[in-house]
Formats: sequence, structure tokens, C-alpha cells
Amino acid sequence: MNRSEAQRVLLLYRPGTAETGDPEVMEALDLARRDPELGRWFEQHRSFQKAMGARFREIEVPAHLRTSILAQAQTQELIVNRPRVWQRKPLWLAAALTVVFACLAVLWLRPHPTNQFANYRARMVSGALREYQMDIKTNDMRMVRQDLASRGAPSDYVVPPGLERLRLTGGGRLTWRTNPVAMVCFDRGDRQMVFLFVLDRSAVKDPPPTTPRLHKVNELLTASWTQGDKTYVLAGPEEAGFLQKYL
Amino acid sequence: MAARASYNDDRGRGELDFQSLVDLHYGALYRFAMSLTRSESDACDLVQQTFLVWATKGHQLEDFSKAKSWLFTTLHHAFLESRRRTTRFPHLEISEAEAELPKVEPELLNHLDAREVLRLLGQVDEQFQAAVALFYLEDYSYQEIATILEIPLGTVKSRIARGIAQLRELVLHRSSAPGEAKEGIG
Repeated sequence: MNRSEAQRVLLLYRPGTAETGDPEVMEALDLARRDPELGRWFEQHRSFQKAMGARFREIEVPAHLRTSILAQAQTQELIVNRPRVWQRKPLWLAAALTVVFACLAVLWLRPHPTNQFANYRARMVSGALREYQMDIKTNDMRMVRQDLASRGAPSDYVVPPGLERLRLTGGGRLTWRTNPVAMVCFDRGDRQMVFLFVLDRSAVKDPPPTTPRLHKVNELLTASWTQGDKTYVLAGPEEAGFLQKYL
Repeated sequence: MAARASYNDDRGRGELDFQSLVDLHYGALYRFAMSLTRSESDACDLVQQTFLVWATKGHQLEDFSKAKSWLFTTLHHAFLESRRRTTRFPHLEISEAEAELPKVEPELLNHLDAREVLRLLGQVDEQFQAAVALFYLEDYSYQEIATILEIPLGTVKSRIARGIAQLRELVLHRSSAPGEAKEGIG
């Protein structure tokens, strides 16, 4: 290595850096120790480098810069400290669990539609008062039973003797809490309808007794009883002798 | 130094909040930007733009220990973009550096201040300036400078060598023409 080559190597020399141990640098340093002229040049160069480095580091940073950076980030509403995905997961998980628990609480605390008989009876009556639709219109009870059976509704019900004297108009399948309900419709003869609703006894937790019980529901009078594995509700206009007339 | 210690602690944890990151690096980034632009307003814009980019994309950085290099690289990108450079700098080997390496007497350096150094750096070939600034401003190895500037290691060395050589020449010429010393500083 000659003097010129050593100068070019030492031009990039920085004490204390990884380059210090480079064989080429070591050779240039050794030459600078042995060559007085190169040594003087190297000393001056080191002074130059030290001074230049110091001057660069003396560049004053505007006092407002830090504030401006932070303010800019805030005013632009950037997510400046965005956590990594794995750091966000717990937050999302917590939010999701909160929603789940809230939903469960709502479900748990809300009034439960029970399988109580009164509820069933009220539903049937309200349906009859609002609007009802027969699946089959016929005065043939056999056909009504067949149609109900085909729809999965109770069809082996017992028609009270009093109802048999009324004119059958048809029937239909209703549903209460997923349970099929047979609706059999009778015409009282004065454009007033009488309805017989038949439900499996097991569908309600408190089926009525075998002896018919009267109960006024909205505008209709009802008689309810249990016979065999069926629960019956008879609903019609309120009138005297209701039970004696239709049962 | 307290901030640096905190930075090291945070590097160990792999995370650092935005404000701490700003505190640790905005000064060095500004000096680098100032070395490139020699304009306070332009340098401030570059630093702010760099941290904005960090705010939106920094979370994508897998290795947080590389945040500082990432910031310097981003700032350099922003600077290049601002200049709308379309030509690539030629690769120069260190052997192509100045044939003469004049001596710079120590007393000449006593009259230099930061503004004057920046002015002189502005007269160095533009393709050398970023490498020279990083060489003097930070304790980066040549390989780290190569990573920041995204250029080969040999190119980094050649740019620094040629840049330093030019800077030495400029210091010498300044001493012979002191009237120019106060001109053209942003």
C-alpha cells in the first residue's frame, strides 16, 4: 500500500467503528505511523472529521418542530400509536365478549314466553278475533280431520255433542310455540263463529282439568278442558248457557 | 440520554409510543433533512411528513429496532420525491475519488459554524450529500447507510469519499474567498 492508497482508505476512517478492524484500514494506519507526511495529513484529517461532525451536530433544531409534529398527528386524527394486530386482539376480544354478554343478559332478563295454558288460550282467541284462515272449507268433519292430519295437526280430537249440532265450516292448522294446533270452525247460524282449538296436552305445562272451565278472553268466552292426551279450548261469543249449549 | 435509555428498553419490548419515537429521533432527522435541503422550512416539512408516514404505516414494521433506519429511509424517500428525480446516480468507485487530497489546516475549521458547513455541503455534488450527512451526523456503519439510502455498500463508500474530498476542497477555497461565506444559506 502506498501513501495515496492509504489516504483513500483513511479518508473514510472513523475511530471506534466496525471499520477500524478492517485489515486494509489497519495497514493504512500502520503506514501513517511510519510515514511522517502521511501521519501529519492523517492528523489533520482526523481534526477535520471531528470538527465537521461537531458542526453537523450543532445544527439547531427549531423549537416548534416537536410540537408541530405532535399537533399535526393529532389534528389529522391519525392513529399514531396503533398497536399491532396481536395487541389489538384483546381489545376486540373484550368488545366481542361484552356484546355477547349483553345479548345473553337481554335474552335472560326478557320476559319468557312460557308454555302456560293461559298464554296459549289468549293467543288462540286473539287470532280468532283478528283474522283466521281455514285451510279447508267443508262441512265434512272427516275431510277436516284428514286435512289436519296431513298437516301434522291433531286430528283425533273429540267433538263435544253440542258442537256437532252446529254447522261445520272448515278447519285449519295453527301453530303455538312450534306445537301444531287444530282449529275447527263452526257457524252458530247467526254469522257468529265458534272455534274449537285442539292441542296436545304435553304442549302446556298446566293443562286445564277435565271439567270445562269458563274464562272470558277479550270479547270471547272460552271453555277449556283436557280429555285424553288433548287439551281443548272452545271460544265463541259470550252468551248464556254457553257450556250447556255447546258441550 | 434518558430518552435513549428508554428507547433501548422499549426496543427490548418491541414497542414504542409515538411521542417517545418523536422525542428520540426528530432532532437527528431534522439535521439530516437540513443537510439535504439547507432550508429550515423544507427540513421541517420533511420531518413532519416522515412522522406522518410513520403514523400511518409504521405499525407495519415488524422489527421495531429498525424504526430509526426506517425513519431516515422514509425521509430520504420524501426528499427524493420532492426533487422529482428521474435520473439515477452513477455508481462511482472509491478509486475514482479526487486524486489530490489537500491538507486542511485546523485553524480553518475554527471559523466554520453549522450554517457554513451546510452551505458548503450544498456545493458538494448532490448525489454525495445524503451519504456525507449520515456519515457525520450519526454513528451508522457504512452498511447501515447503504440500507437507509438503498444503494450498494461500495457506492456508499465512494459517495462519502468523494463527498468528503469535495468538502475539504470547499473549506480550502472558502478560506481563500471569505466573502462568499455568508451567502446563500437558507
